[in-house]
Amino acid sequence: MIKTTNLTKKYGDFTALDNLNVEIKEGEILCLLGANGAGKSTTINLLLNFIAPTSGNAYINGLDVVKNPKKTKPYLTYIPENLMLYPTLTAIENLDYFLGIGGKSFSKAELKTFLEEAGLQQEAFNKRVQFFSKGMRQKVGIALAIAKGAKVLLLDEPTSGLDPKSSNEFGELLKRMKNAKVAILMATHDIFRAKEIGTHIGIMKQGVLKHYFRNDEITLQNLEKVYLETMTLNNTAV
Amino acid sequence: MIRYIVKKEIKEIFRDGRFKISALIVFVLAVVAFFVTFKQYKNTAAQYNEAKANERKVWESQGAKNPHSAAHYGNYVFKPKSPLSLIDQGVDKYTGISVFLEAHNRNEAAFSDAADQTALSRFGALTPDFILLYIIPLIIILIGYNIFSKEIEGSTFFILKSQGVVGWKLFIGKWLAALIPTLVIATVLFVVAAVALTSLNDFGLFEWKEILALYFVYVLYYLIFTNVVLFISSKVKKSGIALVINLVFWVLACFVAPKVASNLADAKYPYPSHQEFNEQIANESKQGLDGHNPWNEESQKLREQTLKEYKVDSVHKLPFNFNAFLMQKSEEYQAQVYAKHYGLLKEKAKKQGGVYKSLSTISPFLPTRFLSMAIANTDYESHWAFTEAAEEYRVGVQRFLNGTTEKNAKYNERYVAPADTWSKLEEFNYESPTFSEVYRQNTSVFSVLIIWFVFTAALLFFTNKKY
Repeated sequence: MIKTTNLTKKYGDFTALDNLNVEIKEGEILCLLGANGAGKSTTINLLLNFIAPTSGNAYINGLDVVKNPKKTKPYLTYIPENLMLYPTLTAIENLDYFLGIGGKSFSKAELKTFLEEAGLQQEAFNKRVQFFSKGMRQKVGIALAIAKGAKVLLLDEPTSGLDPKSSNEFGELLKRMKNAKVAILMATHDIFRAKEIGTHIGIMKQGVLKHYFRNDEITLQNLEKVYLETMTLNNTAV
Repeated sequence: MIRYIVKKEIKEIFRDGRFKISALIVFVLAVVAFFVTFKQYKNTAAQYNEAKANERKVWESQGAKNPHSAAHYGNYVFKPKSPLSLIDQGVDKYTGISVFLEAHNRNEAAFSDAADQTALSRFGALTPDFILLYIIPLIIILIGYNIFSKEIEGSTFFILKSQGVVGWKLFIGKWLAALIPTLVIATVLFVVAAVALTSLNDFGLFEWKEILALYFVYVLYYLIFTNVVLFISSKVKKSGIALVINLVFWVLACFVAPKVASNLADAKYPYPSHQEFNEQIANESKQGLDGHNPWNEESQKLREQTLKEYKVDSVHKLPFNFNAFLMQKSEEYQAQVYAKHYGLLKEKAKKQGGVYKSLSTISPFLPTRFLSMAIANTDYESHWAFTEAAEEYRVGVQRFLNGTTEKNAKYNERYVAPADTWSKLEEFNYESPTFSEVYRQNTSVFSVLIIWFVFTAALLFFTNKKY
């Protein structure tokens, strides 16, 4: 569902992403770990076609994102780190607007169902999102993915700044999305959450994917150890 | 997609406290401005009608009198107040609305509104044109300064992009949404003005096409402002910075540019001082015919020429009253002197206007201001047209009065015209330039406004690769 082949992004002499080759199939979650500037967000931005690759290709549902920018959009939903939404609009209005932009229209009752599925409390449906916590705003983002029937979910540091309970709830939501055969790519700093929900885990440093594991290949303890070693040592790409 | 964008933006604008408060302030200001101006307008209308009727009555009831005494007695003519001066008073407030017509002298227009007010009036008054020209652009800024930058600040822009939003549709949607509240405010103000004008029966000829033209000019002005505000918002990532840049543009366009243009025009084509101007006229007048002095050189020349032309040896033998003939020739000479000097002054005013108008390219405020005053018939051109019509009438009055003596009295006879003479003088009826004349005179300014719109629209819609 998500695939990159030798995906590279350079800004002059600086290489933000170097020959990334990954594939995330339906029902898989790849959690990319790494410090700031490791290339996680660059990968997401390339998959969204927000920036053009220097070389290599990125595919969503088999479609090259550069050659088919519009065709790939209906398949994906993106949730940035600080999803603010439109503060003076309610949760339902925000959802309705974003879906409308994507060419989809739903009744109010349907929109409520999507928000409910995303775990938002009913009393929040008609409240302006200016009073929402980050967790609540992200649930609106997930409702968007559910409503769209998105096959791909791209998440940039979604759990940063969330309290443990909200972070846990969000993790559960992602597992449900995974079970619904959505392919998920999540950039995160949270090793614990990555181990808990990811089907695959990658560790990036300076634009290079240094390590790539299946979840069952590594324990949380070892993952933490490898991560810390990677951050301090000069390793080669996998 | 555009429908969704417009709907959502309008919702956001109307739920935003800033818009609610500013719209309320504009509404209150507009109500006060219209109320005050309408009251003033009605008073002026009543005064105009009363003064015009009284002046004629006084003129006609002079009784039996020497025509030249009547010429010195003089009479006032009044500039009719244009109906659209309810919206834009233009220069009327400062130029005066009546001219005293008398023998030998061309007087300036007098009795301006400003002269009746305290020095504080120099700081400006709350008028509908102030709301239309200065305040509504400020509302546009408040509506639009963050219309794009908020999308970046709130990361919603990235979601929109990931949803496949089409750049030009986003621009059109936001542009329409920013424009709708402004159009609603402007339309309400114009409809109120039109309703108020149609309720007045005895004052000026109100024409719908004129108010529609004025409305169109202001809509164009707001479109330009909307383009600029949205362009700045789309180029700046932080809303605070976008607001500051927009406010700087507003100050430059609405306050600094007109003053710069006026100073440049004045520096390039300076007006003579009032004293200089009057001295020049007085000196030139002295060199020519003097109706009250039959023994000066020019009068003697005229006398000899006339005797020769009529082949007689004495002015007594002329078939007309030579005194009145001399008086009329003297009037004609003085009228020529006035025409020459006022012509030079007008030429200078025209050149100043030309400089001022050519600077319309530095701010959309300038062409809008010109067109607004021109359509409302309250601009400097319309003032010139009135004073010239008044002078033409003055010359005609002198011709009528001198002609009466010329035909009915012998040389050196003290002629007393019968009481019914005065009613035979045609009344002064000034008609303001027609709409098509105004349009013709201001085609270049109108073109500049159109160019402003096209340029800013192109800037907004074609220079944004980011969206």
